[in-house]
Amino acid sequence: CKKYLDKPLTGALEGPLLETKEGVRDLLIGTYAVLDGQQGGDAAIGGGGAWEASPDNWIYGGVAAGDANKGSDPGDQTPIESIQKFTTDPTNGFLNSKWKADYEGISRANLVLKTVAKVNGYATGKKENIIAQARFLRAHYYFDLKKMFDKVPYIDENTTDFNQPNNVDIWPKIEADFTYAYQNLLGQQEDAGRANKWAAGTYLAKTYLYEHKFPEARAIFETVVTQGTTANGQPYKLNDNFEDNFRAATNNSAESVFAVQAAANVDPNGISNANNGDMLNFPYGDGSPFGCCGFYQPSIDLVNHFRTNPATGLPYLDAYNDHPLKTDMGVSSAQDFTPDQGTVDPRLDWTAGRRGIPYLDWGIHPGNNWVRNQAYAGPYSPIKMVYGQAAQGTEGDGHSWAPGSGINNNIIRFADVLLMDAETQAQTGNLFRAMELVNMVRARAANPAGWVYQYKDPDKPTAGFSDQPAANYKVGLYDMSYFATKESALKAIYYERKIELALEGHRFFDLVRWGIAAQEINSYLAFQGKFTQDVRGGRFTAGKNEVYPIPQRQIDLSGAGGSPKLIQNKNY
Amino acid sequence: NVFSQKLFNIDKEQVTVSSVLKQIEQSSEYSVFYRLDQLDKNRLVTIHAHQASIEDLLTQVLKGQALTYHVVDHLIIIKPSGASIAPIFAITGIVTDEQGQTLPGVTVKLSGTNLATVTDVQGKYSLTLPSGEGNLEFTFIGFVSKTVAVNGQQRIDVRLTADSKALTEVVVVGYTTQRKKDLTGAVSVVDVKNLNKTASSSVNTQLQGQAPGVTVIGSGQPGEEPQVRIRGFNTFGNNTPLYVVDGIPTQDVSTLNPNDVESFQVLKDASSASIYGARAANGVIIITTKRGRGKVTIQYDAYYGTQVPKSGNVWQTLNPQEMADLKHLAQTNSGITDFTDEQYNPDGKASRYTLPDYIVPAGAKNGDPATDPSLYYVNPNYTSGDDFNNFNRITKANKAGTDWYHEIFKSAPITSHNIAVGSGGENGSYLFSANYYNQQGTLIDTYQKRYTLRANSTFNFNKHIRIGENLAYSVTKNPKVSGNNPDGVITMALRQQPIIPVYDIAGNYAGSYGSGLGDANNPVAIQQRSKVNSDVGYRLFGNIYAEADFLNSFTFRTSFGGDIANGNSHYFNYPTYENKENTQTNSYGEDSYSNWNYTWTNTLSFHKEIRKHDIKVVAGTEAFEEYDSYIGASRQNYFSFDPDYVNLNTGSASGIGNYGARSTSTLLSAFARVDYSYGGKYLFNATIRRDGSSKFSKENQYGYFPAVSAAWRLSQENFLKNVSWLSDLKIRGGWGIMGNQLNLTQANAYYTYGSSIGQSYYPIGGGTTIVPGFYQQQIGNPDAKWEKDINSNIGFDATLFGGALSVTADYYRKDIKDLLFNPEQLGTVGNGTVPYVNIAKMRTDGLDVAVTGKTKIGSDLTLNTTLSVTTYNNRISKVSNSSSYFYSDISRRFDVNMVRNEVGHPIGQFYGYKVVGFWNSQDEIDAANAKAVQSSGNPNAVYQNDVKPGRFRYADVNGDGVVNDADRTFIGDPNPDFTAGLNLGLTYKAFDFNILLYGSFGNQIWNNVKYWRDFYASFETAKSYTALYDSWTPTNHNAKAPIQELDASTSSGSTPNSYFVENGSYVRARNAQLGYTFTNLKKAGIQKLRIYVSATNLFTITGYKGTDPELNGGVLNFGIDEGTYATPRTYLIGVNVSL
Repeated sequence: CKKYLDKPLTGALEGPLLETKEGVRDLLIGTYAVLDGQQGGDAAIGGGGAWEASPDNWIYGGVAAGDANKGSDPGDQTPIESIQKFTTDPTNGFLNSKWKADYEGISRANLVLKTVAKVNGYATGKKENIIAQARFLRAHYYFDLKKMFDKVPYIDENTTDFNQPNNVDIWPKIEADFTYAYQNLLGQQEDAGRANKWAAGTYLAKTYLYEHKFPEARAIFETVVTQGTTANGQPYKLNDNFEDNFRAATNNSAESVFAVQAAANVDPNGISNANNGDMLNFPYGDGSPFGCCGFYQPSIDLVNHFRTNPATGLPYLDAYNDHPLKTDMGVSSAQDFTPDQGTVDPRLDWTAGRRGIPYLDWGIHPGNNWVRNQAYAGPYSPIKMVYGQAAQGTEGDGHSWAPGSGINNNIIRFADVLLMDAETQAQTGNLFRAMELVNMVRARAANPAGWVYQYKDPDKPTAGFSDQPAANYKVGLYDMSYFATKESALKAIYYERKIELALEGHRFFDLVRWGIAAQEINSYLAFQGKFTQDVRGGRFTAGKNEVYPIPQRQIDLSGAGGSPKLIQNKNY
Repeated sequence: NVFSQKLFNIDKEQVTVSSVLKQIEQSSEYSVFYRLDQLDKNRLVTIHAHQASIEDLLTQVLKGQALTYHVVDHLIIIKPSGASIAPIFAITGIVTDEQGQTLPGVTVKLSGTNLATVTDVQGKYSLTLPSGEGNLEFTFIGFVSKTVAVNGQQRIDVRLTADSKALTEVVVVGYTTQRKKDLTGAVSVVDVKNLNKTASSSVNTQLQGQAPGVTVIGSGQPGEEPQVRIRGFNTFGNNTPLYVVDGIPTQDVSTLNPNDVESFQVLKDASSASIYGARAANGVIIITTKRGRGKVTIQYDAYYGTQVPKSGNVWQTLNPQEMADLKHLAQTNSGITDFTDEQYNPDGKASRYTLPDYIVPAGAKNGDPATDPSLYYVNPNYTSGDDFNNFNRITKANKAGTDWYHEIFKSAPITSHNIAVGSGGENGSYLFSANYYNQQGTLIDTYQKRYTLRANSTFNFNKHIRIGENLAYSVTKNPKVSGNNPDGVITMALRQQPIIPVYDIAGNYAGSYGSGLGDANNPVAIQQRSKVNSDVGYRLFGNIYAEADFLNSFTFRTSFGGDIANGNSHYFNYPTYENKENTQTNSYGEDSYSNWNYTWTNTLSFHKEIRKHDIKVVAGTEAFEEYDSYIGASRQNYFSFDPDYVNLNTGSASGIGNYGARSTSTLLSAFARVDYSYGGKYLFNATIRRDGSSKFSKENQYGYFPAVSAAWRLSQENFLKNVSWLSDLKIRGGWGIMGNQLNLTQANAYYTYGSSIGQSYYPIGGGTTIVPGFYQQQIGNPDAKWEKDINSNIGFDATLFGGALSVTADYYRKDIKDLLFNPEQLGTVGNGTVPYVNIAKMRTDGLDVAVTGKTKIGSDLTLNTTLSVTTYNNRISKVSNSSSYFYSDISRRFDVNMVRNEVGHPIGQFYGYKVVGFWNSQDEIDAANAKAVQSSGNPNAVYQNDVKPGRFRYADVNGDGVVNDADRTFIGDPNPDFTAGLNLGLTYKAFDFNILLYGSFGNQIWNNVKYWRDFYASFETAKSYTALYDSWTPTNHNAKAPIQELDASTSSGSTPNSYFVENGSYVRARNAQLGYTFTNLKKAGIQKLRIYVSATNLFTITGYKGTDPELNGGVLNFGIDEGTYATPRTYLIGVNVSL
């Protein structure tokens, strides 16, 4: 009779079965799998909508700092609106989803470290290469938490009490993990999607940069720029075509330092491996070929950043909004509209879809018809993470109510490395090298091979492009007059980061580490608010909004014995 | 005299006379009759009988006593020797009921002896008595026993009257039966006749308002089981009671044919229920099904009717012109000055918005070349994105407005046919029944079609051994939709704008595709496309059993039964083209499940009356095992959508999906109960059960669930015996522990690791291949043990005025300790499934009252009244060690969840800001902000975020001078103060009339329909009158809704606040029935014919403005209206025929 109550568990394994080389291998894959922040079924890995924990931080790094408007309709995903207006409070569930997604990554990395310690029989260096990958990933997740929330509890593979206080700065822990990874990772890995030595070096340097340890950062950046290779062995270089950073066909190119790997149509039950977190960010409306949802609309302010001086091809570093691009605000798709004829940086049309310009190979952007609510969130559409028409069968993923794509999500790409290197050079006095690095990025943009061109036949956009540029493109290189002082050099570098890396989720965190978030964001809100309703009433409060509030739910859950262990960030 | 040929072998010394006589009775068919004053039955005798005849044997037995004997048939009469051989007295007769129907199976017994027989199928009995003296007792379950003096009569016909139920009714309780009047626990005995007055496939639906202590919340959807809660809440998870059908426990009685139900008891407290131990905490409902009785009868019951959805403008929807006016108003309020609009003012020249003739192309007028039908192109069965991208849709505006509610809700028929054939007598009984039930839903393309068959039979081997079986087989087809789902079909109907027609100019679907038409999907299209889907469930449920009586007082019973349920479904997802958000892929899938479980129960019972002591003991064991499994698969990209072509083979090779899982668990139990009564005056009951569950770790596998109760029948005491108006009064009290483990999974005790595409696969190679990885699936908690529901109950039963009025009332209290809950863990723990831990605590108390009255007015009119009242007060006393609350329900379109379960509050309360009015001017806002700056000392402080004139002003609940998250508070409670059911039955001659009124009082509703319709900024949905005519404007401050504007704001509709909370009290005429019984058709071979007309939900009195205040939901989220499947009004005509 006693045996009667012995019933097996089905469909799961108990821990000891994973204490093998194969088990460690698969646990490590499971740790990588958290990079996309998704658990399938259009849910973020800690719960909440897929987009709440998107690895590109489009909400927290992009919408929050004026790269883009939330988009869609006013009532749609209102927690994002409160983030872009800085009226959010700690109960905003999005922050909790983001928090949980990162800690799940950390928890899986810790599981790898705990398990691999019990397994032997690796060839020389192999075990270290595994440990280093796990520590790289753990540091990545902590980095994400650090820049979002600043003080966070630290959990490692030896922690048994998970209710830890957030009273310690974790930069040293992140440095330690990246340092170990830099020292122990192989330069070339068996798989293109793995972290390698150079990705670790870059991330370590980026950590130093965030800590304002410029000399340490510079030393590593210089090594990475000259010696670094991708995990699949290509020496780092800028892709000839800017757009190749955002096409599934050119995933893991020579410019890819570390990217969240995406694959379309691999999950029959959803788009869990196909940029689930960006599922809302496609043009929406009549005739839009995408099912949903009209979010992440590049801001008018961002688009104005791409204006170039017709004579020099350089941007108006301070006065970009004095040279605004003509918009189709208030113009219906049926009405005629001629796009802006002034000079612009060609990266614009790989970044923001706008009326009258070819939108990838989908056809001429029709303006209002592809925008959900112009008066609310402006006239533009995102492009970078949108798949093309000819490739839609393989790169698009229709397994959910909103689209997925097979485009890798860049965490760090080489242009970013060059611009971070330029920052450290400027900060440490090497202004000429800083200019060189910025100009490398601009030179690629200036190369006509990478521009957007008119269609050969506007009725058959997939038939290819003519040799007629889609707009009046002009890009020039800086001379030393712009890099005469550290301040002017930094201004140019910061501006270049804005336009090169627009809508890639860096902006908010850059502004904060540069210490200019309050002024930049408040002037953005004031300007953008003249055109779109969504940001009206928004205000960035210095001394508060530089970090997001610790999720209230986590504070409430840390309240063992009545007083919570987690302390809220200042002024929330 | 024909002596028996039976020969005896007994060889014993110094045995009592009585033991030998007993042995004779047991080993032969003889009954021995003697008088105690004549026979010394304790005298010791020595017997040496080898192949002895009965005469030889009796001679030895009676040796030394001046006695002789006489054998007649199987009767041995012992009498003083020398007494004249009295004439053997044969008596016969017929037993009938009040109507003259013969009664088979009635026990006829000579008082004070074992001499007895039962009536045959014709109700006849014959008995041979030792003399013409003494009394005959006639007993039959359900009838008042009768004693008749023989007085030398050779024929005694007896008419038995049916029990006045309240006092003599026998009810089935845990593993035994009891006279209702001897109950010591809280048991509601439901009148099955009243149940069946409500036309439904579900006994649970019929249960509403019929039993005190039971709350039933249903919906209008065919086949959707209502929420049944016995005495409020017992746990945070599954609160479904345990059903015990013919002794077999189950959680699902949705396939039970209500016509088959014989009795229905609700065990509410620990003393009645905890003998079901681990599964008792949610209450136990005991159902027995009918068995054949008497001569062969054929019973046919049928009804046919129509269900009518609510009429009128159900959601108070604006017409298209008003919608345009509202848009204009909202834009004006938002400072828009350019009123160019693609639909209503395409050239921007008009001063007011007017309706277009076409909505696609946007704003087109008649004669516009773009509306030329020859330009139209839509291929509804498109298979490529290219094709889709080339569509040219043309859709006329429906200027009169589409009534989307009545496009999907239509009158629908309902019918049921039930035939039962049965018979029963001393050798056994059988009953066959067949039921066809077909309820079309008022929501198009929802329905329930169910076929059920039942065969119940018993075989009486002899007087002491019985075997039998109860088996039911059902086939159910039941496509349903989800209610209260913000993206469900009903919500789509309330979101879809009225200017959109159902179909475009070519008869294909029209929808939100087009400018300014919102993002809802065409609900008619959703339903019509679902027609090719199918699901069917098959279920075999029942048991076989055997019973043997032995040693006079003992009965052994063994029962083996259970459930075999399987089913399959398939669906096809058409690509859509008419909506703003379209699915371009087509896909097909199939799912199937296969589950079984069995319960094997063995009980030994003992019952003995010794003078005034009545003792009954039952002990037993039970083993339960269940196995569940499912598989499913899907394919995509079909060449043709022909439903006959589409299957799992014919889809494209890419995008093949499949999944499946299986699980199993067991329970092993032992239990015992004792019922003791002294003179029917002092009653005592004790039960205990020990349950072992495979879901717990070895250390915590077993739980013990004891209960005791007692009752005192005061009316039997001398001081009350002479109170003439008091027929019966009994007070009861009980205490016990019930268990719960429903919410646990088999994995709970273990840390487990698994692999799934979404969770742990990754395209590590950089290509389009994903590589499996592992992740922690489940966090283990080996310490989980039994949840305990500690229950106390006190109550009384009173019968007054000779049964004209009876009252049963109970007060109970349940303290749930070690409540198994899976509280959210800190994010730092990671994401494994949180195990259930014995962490939470909860308390529920309340009052159940039932009042039954029976009044005879004149000779022809009787009035039967039953009132049942249910209350429960529920308080969570602990959630977890780290947190005092948890959210339930989805967040819908709000920024946070609005259902918060917190310590000190009941489950399911609504949480948010409290609206105290509007901000009527900027001055008011400035003044409030200035105060906030002052009180906080922060120069940037504002009183409330996101305010402007016309938006809500929220209460500063904590009085700190600013409104922020800390000022969210409890703003509504969906739990009723009490619910009540009132059954009124009137009979006048051959007419009968019955009405059931059901009411719920003091509950509140979260009306989320308002979210879509009272706020212009809530997507571009259809809006309400309130939005246009009763919203704040600079000149209308005394409004209901806030300012209509383009912005969604946390100071208007985008965060939970008290605007959405409404009073949900209602009283409903659940059903009313008028019948006429023809009594003079016997010559036509019809025993009984009754016809009736009936109406369900004839009227509802409520202040709630939504479609239906009765809102079905989940355990932790209910009373929420976001497009509910309202209960329709139903008119029926029906017939009951007995042949």
